[in-house]
Amino acid sequence: MELWRQVFIYGMNVFNLLIVSYFFIANGVYTLLMVISLAAVWLYNRRLAYQDLDDIRESPVTPPVTIVIPAWNEEQIIVETTESTLQTDYPELEVVVVDDGSNDTTLKRLIDNFHLVKMDLIYRPQIPTQTVRGFYMNPDLPTLLVVSKENGGKPDALNVGVNICRTPYFCTLDSDSILERDALLRLMRPVIHSPINTVVSGGIVRVMNGCQVRDGRVTKVELPKSRLERFQVVEYLRSFLFGRTGWDLLGGTMIVSGAFAVFHRDTVMEAGGFAHDTVTEDMDLVVQLHHWASKHNRRIRMSFTSDPVCWTECPSTLRMLGNQRRRWQLGLCQTLWKHSEMLFNRKYGMVGNFSFPFHFYVEALGAVVEFLGYFMVPLAIIFGMVPAMLYLLFVLLSLAYGGLLSIGAVLLEELTYRRYPSYRDLTRLLWYAFIENLGYRQLILYYRFEGVVRFLTGYGRWEKVTHVGIAN
Amino acid sequence: MPFLIENVTTVVLAFFILALLGNLSLVGIVLLRRRRRDRFFARIDGLREQYGPVLEAVLSGCTAYAQGLETLRQISCPDRLFMLEQLCLEKRPAPAQEPVLRRLCEDLGLVKIWQQRLMGQIDQASLREALVNPQGLLRRVKMLQFLIRSKSAENLGLIRHEPSWPLLVKALEDPNPDIRMVAVRSLAAIQHPGSFVPLVEQLHKSVLESAPVLSVRTLKTALVSFPLRDARDLLPSLRHPDPRIRFVATDIIREMVEREAADNPDFLLDQRIMGGEMVEMFLKNLPFDTNPDVRARSAPVIAHLADQRVAPTLFTLLEDSAWFVRLHTVRSLANQRFLPHASRIAATLTDPNWRVRETAVRALRGFGRAGVDLLTLHFLATKDRYSREQVADGFQRTGLIPELLACCVETGNGRETAVLKNLAEMGKTSYMISVIERRKGNAELRRNFLMQFGRYPDPQIHHWVEQMAEQESDFDMRALAQETLAAHSREEM
Repeated sequence: MELWRQVFIYGMNVFNLLIVSYFFIANGVYTLLMVISLAAVWLYNRRLAYQDLDDIRESPVTPPVTIVIPAWNEEQIIVETTESTLQTDYPELEVVVVDDGSNDTTLKRLIDNFHLVKMDLIYRPQIPTQTVRGFYMNPDLPTLLVVSKENGGKPDALNVGVNICRTPYFCTLDSDSILERDALLRLMRPVIHSPINTVVSGGIVRVMNGCQVRDGRVTKVELPKSRLERFQVVEYLRSFLFGRTGWDLLGGTMIVSGAFAVFHRDTVMEAGGFAHDTVTEDMDLVVQLHHWASKHNRRIRMSFTSDPVCWTECPSTLRMLGNQRRRWQLGLCQTLWKHSEMLFNRKYGMVGNFSFPFHFYVEALGAVVEFLGYFMVPLAIIFGMVPAMLYLLFVLLSLAYGGLLSIGAVLLEELTYRRYPSYRDLTRLLWYAFIENLGYRQLILYYRFEGVVRFLTGYGRWEKVTHVGIAN
Repeated sequence: MPFLIENVTTVVLAFFILALLGNLSLVGIVLLRRRRRDRFFARIDGLREQYGPVLEAVLSGCTAYAQGLETLRQISCPDRLFMLEQLCLEKRPAPAQEPVLRRLCEDLGLVKIWQQRLMGQIDQASLREALVNPQGLLRRVKMLQFLIRSKSAENLGLIRHEPSWPLLVKALEDPNPDIRMVAVRSLAAIQHPGSFVPLVEQLHKSVLESAPVLSVRTLKTALVSFPLRDARDLLPSLRHPDPRIRFVATDIIREMVEREAADNPDFLLDQRIMGGEMVEMFLKNLPFDTNPDVRARSAPVIAHLADQRVAPTLFTLLEDSAWFVRLHTVRSLANQRFLPHASRIAATLTDPNWRVRETAVRALRGFGRAGVDLLTLHFLATKDRYSREQVADGFQRTGLIPELLACCVETGNGRETAVLKNLAEMGKTSYMISVIERRKGNAELRRNFLMQFGRYPDPQIHHWVEQMAEQESDFDMRALAQETLAAHSREEM
């Protein structure tokens, strides 16, 4: 009995150590990211004053781009997304919509709306994909090509797009998203001006819920009505404005949102395209590209910029939010596991030494540590191993610090882009940033924990997030 | 201090209070910032409302220049310079307004300040000014002064201030990459011939250095915007021992030439524009360069030369071992001037590389009726499966099928019918059926199609005939479809 007691006490002490180390590592790195992002985004915003887009728009040297939109059962929104994408301000642009074997009217709506006709065109796949059923084009609208294929998942649909694309760069865009008119020009700016081969360029994804949309454009930015969506606005701001920016500055980019990102086609081809063995094909590709560059001794650059904006529809119900977050966490675990040789591997520089271990410990394992912490630490209090007062204070500190980071993201938004013009929305944003850690964070933690459990039990299916069609 | 639990509790409590205070401070900063920005924008709007019409009138010549200048000189506020900049450079001026705007900026003293700032002579702001005004902060902190210097370089380019080009050339050697990049752009806007060579030197550095500051694309964009006559200064680059330099130089000239040609379809390059030496370079050296990229990029320039050796040189390039050289050459030949040589393009329809075949289809399609005739003849005659596939692809992409179907109805059994029959044999029937389905009102077209193609062993056609036989409202047409089906079944048995 005594032995078991000793084992229990030892186990609890180890876990408490894990919790404390997790708290300090996570918050320490987040603080570092926030501080450097505050400086960098402010500076970048100032630099925009002399970075005119006209020279990119008018230059014959600007490389052509193909926007690839994978769509599966998106009848609610696909026409609006395609229409708005066709209006994108870019000198040489093609749009490829890949219908991934939808069993709703996605394809029909596209055919009817754009007067497309079925054609038997040549398909030369360099990356193997599911069978292509047909190509749809309107000879009077040669910039749009719709491809219908057997269902094979999002990465497969993206690979079809990559196979078809003829331009040196392609941009992936989710079918529930709307690009700002000049977003692609802005996204291509680092590609054009960088002396190093920029193979990935990511932009910011903002929440469209609550905004007014007309003719495929966001015309008025407002906060959504529901609390769940408002929390996600704060979360997106934090994630994109200082998460991605910070990692980009440190040279440790591991995640670029596939909802809106530009990729160098030949490099992606050489790296094998989008893989099917994870449910977050965008993150997997980015990590794969690091891997490929190191293996082939190539000097590449990945860039994240905060001014090209893509508006997306975030989940409006708990069920859909759960689907999305479980998938993200599952994909994170799958990707980290798949590329585990990068962990503390000097060959991969900043990514191997810092970014990968952080994502592994804080983002992947952290979901388990934090979730179990809510049960284990009270247990430790009951057994008298931790004073209740200390625990309470620690929880309060954790919540207050979380609030500080979220409010920091709102400050960053206010210092730079100020997309929410009304005072009311601003104060609401601040309030939601403050209370985000009371309930919402725990909910997300629960979904993330479920994602890890799914990874451990070998569950690997895509969970569809259904959209209500805000842009419609 | 001993490591006691009470001490840890005190430390955590202290951290908690600090975090709470941090929260409150950030909220305060956000709200304060919003208020200050609102005031700032209100001030700019006010200024715009008050002086915008004056500026507009001066630029359009509705108000006397001296009177307008005097009014604008009256603007007085702590950040007067910034406000004037905002007012004058907010919109891109029309070409006719540019000289007035330039003069205005000079007379308001803006140009002098921009030039001084570009050279690093920035009046330092007081601490108070730095805290109150973001512009003051930039002037106070040395590390941030590159923002002001870059903006000054940009402003000089925006008004195309020609006398400033030597300063901008000097800025090309600045240690700050932003200043260098903006200087390149401003020099491209001013287009002073004297700045072309320094830009070419920068291009060489970007190509040859292992860690260049400026991207090749940035410099190419700048150089391409210069008038074609300045391309003569690229001659030493075309002779450079490094093949990469020769490639970018050739590519820049190609872009310049294609820009001119886009504005003027009859554009021809002669020795007066390019210089005899360069013309000879393009005809004698570059098509035989060791670097295939150079050979490829030289083809479009050669295609625009007014010289008898052009066609033979291009035909040599059509036989090049590198597929992209052949591709660029075919693309260059897609010009009405080379219509007599269309058969040479048609010969590339059997090229082993599909991109060359695809370009050849497009090039011939660009020749109009004559090109389509050549495509059709080739399609009917060739035994090369890949070539036939490529031409079929081109027929569909360019929307030729409805035209072929219409001709088929008119002529009954002409060349167009043969093409459609070939397409049906290849299984390329989706587009035909789509056209027939969309033109339901055209009974003659439907009947003709049913009669000509109804018995083809193509699953799509068969399905269409079945549908006609079951659902067609026109009794005669339905009967014809049923008859076709029956005949098809008999043939199958």
